[in-house]
Amino acid sequence: MSESKRARLSTAGASVLLWVSRTLLALLVAYPMLSAVEATGIGNGPDRDAVLFRPDALMLLELIRVGAPWFASALKTALLLTALTLVLELAPLACALDMLCGGERNFRARAARSFAVFPRFCWLGAVAWLTQGGLLVAISLGEAALRSALHAADERALTVAPLGLVALGALTLLWVNSVLDLARAAVVERDLGGRSALIHALTVLRGQPLAVLGGSYASAAASAFAYLTAAWLMTRLNVGNGSAATIALAFGVHQLAVLFAITWRVRWLERALDLCAAAPLASMASSASSSKDLT
Amino acid sequence: MQRAAIDLLIGGLFSGLSVVVLIALASAPSERPHRARAATAEPVLTPLFPSDAALRNGAPKVASYTIDATLDPIKHRLSGRETVHFVNRSTASLNELWFHLYLNAFKNDKTLFLRSPFGAGRSGDKAHEYGYIDIKKVSLAGAEGIDLWPSRDRHSPNDPADETDLRLPLVAPLAPDQSLDLTIEFEDQLPEVVERMGYAGRFHFLGQWFPKLARLEPNGTFAHFAFNPLSEFYADFGDYDVTIDVPEAFAVGATGKLASETHASGRTRQRYLAENVHDFAWTAWDEFQTRSERIAGVDVRVLYPPHHDTNAEAELASVRLALPHFNALYGPYPYPTLTLVHPPEAAGNVGGMEYPTLITTGGPWYATLGGGRFIEVVTIHELGHQWFYGLLASNEHASPFLDEGLNSYAEAEAMESFYGPGSVFDGWGLSASSSAVNRATSADRGADEPVAQGAADFATFRNLGALVYSRTATVLQTMGRVYGERRMLHAVGSYARKFRFLHPSPNDFSSVMQEELGPEAATVLSSALLARGTVDYLVRDVSSAPAPSDAGVFDGPSGRKQKKPDPPHAAGKYVGRVVIYRHGALQFPVDIELVCEDGSRQYRHWDGRGFTHDVDYAGPSELVGVSVDPEQRILLDDDLTNNWLTTKTVRLPRVFERGLFAAELLLGTLGP
Ligand SMILES: [Zn+2]
Repeated sequence: MSESKRARLSTAGASVLLWVSRTLLALLVAYPMLSAVEATGIGNGPDRDAVLFRPDALMLLELIRVGAPWFASALKTALLLTALTLVLELAPLACALDMLCGGERNFRARAARSFAVFPRFCWLGAVAWLTQGGLLVAISLGEAALRSALHAADERALTVAPLGLVALGALTLLWVNSVLDLARAAVVERDLGGRSALIHALTVLRGQPLAVLGGSYASAAASAFAYLTAAWLMTRLNVGNGSAATIALAFGVHQLAVLFAITWRVRWLERALDLCAAAPLASMASSASSSKDLT
Repeated sequence: MQRAAIDLLIGGLFSGLSVVVLIALASAPSERPHRARAATAEPVLTPLFPSDAALRNGAPKVASYTIDATLDPIKHRLSGRETVHFVNRSTASLNELWFHLYLNAFKNDKTLFLRSPFGAGRSGDKAHEYGYIDIKKVSLAGAEGIDLWPSRDRHSPNDPADETDLRLPLVAPLAPDQSLDLTIEFEDQLPEVVERMGYAGRFHFLGQWFPKLARLEPNGTFAHFAFNPLSEFYADFGDYDVTIDVPEAFAVGATGKLASETHASGRTRQRYLAENVHDFAWTAWDEFQTRSERIAGVDVRVLYPPHHDTNAEAELASVRLALPHFNALYGPYPYPTLTLVHPPEAAGNVGGMEYPTLITTGGPWYATLGGGRFIEVVTIHELGHQWFYGLLASNEHASPFLDEGLNSYAEAEAMESFYGPGSVFDGWGLSASSSAVNRATSADRGADEPVAQGAADFATFRNLGALVYSRTATVLQTMGRVYGERRMLHAVGSYARKFRFLHPSPNDFSSVMQEELGPEAATVLSSALLARGTVDYLVRDVSSAPAPSDAGVFDGPSGRKQKKPDPPHAAGKYVGRVVIYRHGALQFPVDIELVCEDGSRQYRHWDGRGFTHDVDYAGPSELVGVSVDPEQRILLDDDLTNNWLTTKTVRLPRVFERGLFAAELLLGTLGP
């Protein structure tokens, strides 16, 4: 098998892995709310859940009204499952990165390796979330300050000015995410410990800021486009009146969007691996025992 | 480097496309089956009322006011002098007058208004700066030297802390049909905007700002009441001649028609005349933008804050649709002007209020974005009040359902005939109608309290909102859906014509409904409005089986015969039985839809009498489901989820599809 063919295969494999795991975990997250909807009895009629898609929203509002007690508890469970899922998804991500690194490993070996890097991924994720949380607090403080500074300004300025801050915040969050991905790549590619990987990621970022931001920006924008387009297309399909085929089509459209977003993410992860591999390792992070410094 | 540039370009491209798709998505209407009505400016009816030429064109005038008011926008003070021409149109001799000084509701924390639990009232805020009205002098024409005011009662009846409802004894009795002229000097200190009046910066809105007589009932009593946070108002018709004096830079909007305007020493004096009205409100601000347009023969003017041009256009567009519509349904708007005031965000509590020929709207500058029809809803609602409050000047304190309730019905009917099922919201692939929202708001409160009770009797403002506004509208819409929408419109239109320029009571309303809709519907209506009447249709039992064969041993005139059973299903015939129950006191006739295995449907009808109803089914395929009121005419039904039942396993493929997408979107955003 040629090198390029193998690379293409591993790209496809990683995408499929991430897609399948995303769909399965999403099912887990959606399950409590889906069963809460079922419990309301809204779908017990001859027209089943098509009634929820009638244009006056009469039954949709009825679902919310009647289902409120179910939904309150289902939502709590769903949030808990979401938190769990965000951690669980690190395993297929590690596996996907490992596949993208190449090498002739069988599934068992890859699983073992994913298992080995999992704690470091968790540590990196926690660091990134804390950083992003701090950033969000800073942004909201900045927004409050901006609002009171603009107190006398006209209503439109009062609404629009904080949006600039929000955009800036989104950009920094994106940057944090790209550093996180670089660090993950460094963990897998060079078997670095959490802290060393982070330092390496920051070195890469310092060396090639535009390449890093460009790659992750393209991936984030592509997934935003994919999800929005799917949502828009789904409003065009008449699922309420439609047959099973229409529903299947809507399902296909939204799955395609997920796959599209994941493909672009995989493209960025490949790029992150390349950037990590190309950058010289910082002297303080000696490679041999580096995997021990994860705390 | 080159690759980074390409990535940034791709990212930029996807971002740009995302914005385009986002805009398309935000304005995407929901799925529309064929039966959705299209938006139209024309009333969809052939005229219900062919000629309105003979309608009453003026009111019996009881209290007419001539006011001269000067505003100091820095101190937020107003000094005024008013003359009240009062005619005793009752059958009794009067020994006293009752004055409403509603500005005193904001005088201190002990007033009935401010001590009432907040959040229970119409506005969510307490007064930040207190407001009050001081009466300097009250004198009778011909006896200007004598100040009558010291002889007034010092506080509202049985409420030493409140000065919003004061009795003034008359020196000599006023016989029926006699009149008197009172001159009153007064000074207002305006509160910071608290409830539909006050100031916010240099923006000023004046409602309930002058000493005003309570309404004189035909029996010679005054319908007077202290300003309650749950209540609105009630007053007699008259003519208003009001001169407003403000700094030159201020634009003014007011009840009535601008008759003259003079400028002197940096100030503007504007004189407004309004005939056959029962209140007068005005606003002044030096930042108002204005737009004017002649619509259906009325000079319409919008005053709005900077950057609210799209709101102003949406408000004018709403009037373009609704004014002719209401003219046709409830009788022509009789005034030459209509003023719309969109208050700035800081004065949001002033928004959404009605005064004769002047209404306030509201909302942020971006209110027209994103699919909501808030601007249209509030404009059309307040415009509807020109009939249900303005022309039909009911006692809003005693029977708020007559103004807010009937007006919510008028608003929903208008919104739905203009915008179809997306009359409240239409975007993001989702739409919601006024009737659905009204139903959802009031569905579980029908048994809480009677709809047709006094404003102050409601336990909370939320209940008042749910029952007076939403439930009245839902009751009338249900009546329309069951007994005919045209009949219902004709009934309400007849009421609006018969009591135009009068003060109709709940009995007046009921009697018109009885005449128009017949005794059965009238009984349902009064039960729903007066007696907490509710209804819930539900299905509990559905069963179906192959029709029993007619096998066995039969003795007949020609001897004994033995008939063998048919092979199973050979006859291809099934029988089934459904039991439907009606909970609650309201009886509506309903349709029943039977759904068969082969997809065919059969329909039955139940007059709604009795508690239960059996439906027997016979047909070529198995009965698999039933639905009571399948067209959902009965919006009052307490629980719509128990109106149907199926014998099949429940599968929710659409919910599954959307739910999974939502979860994938969530993980796509938050996930690693
Ligand atoms: Zn209203």
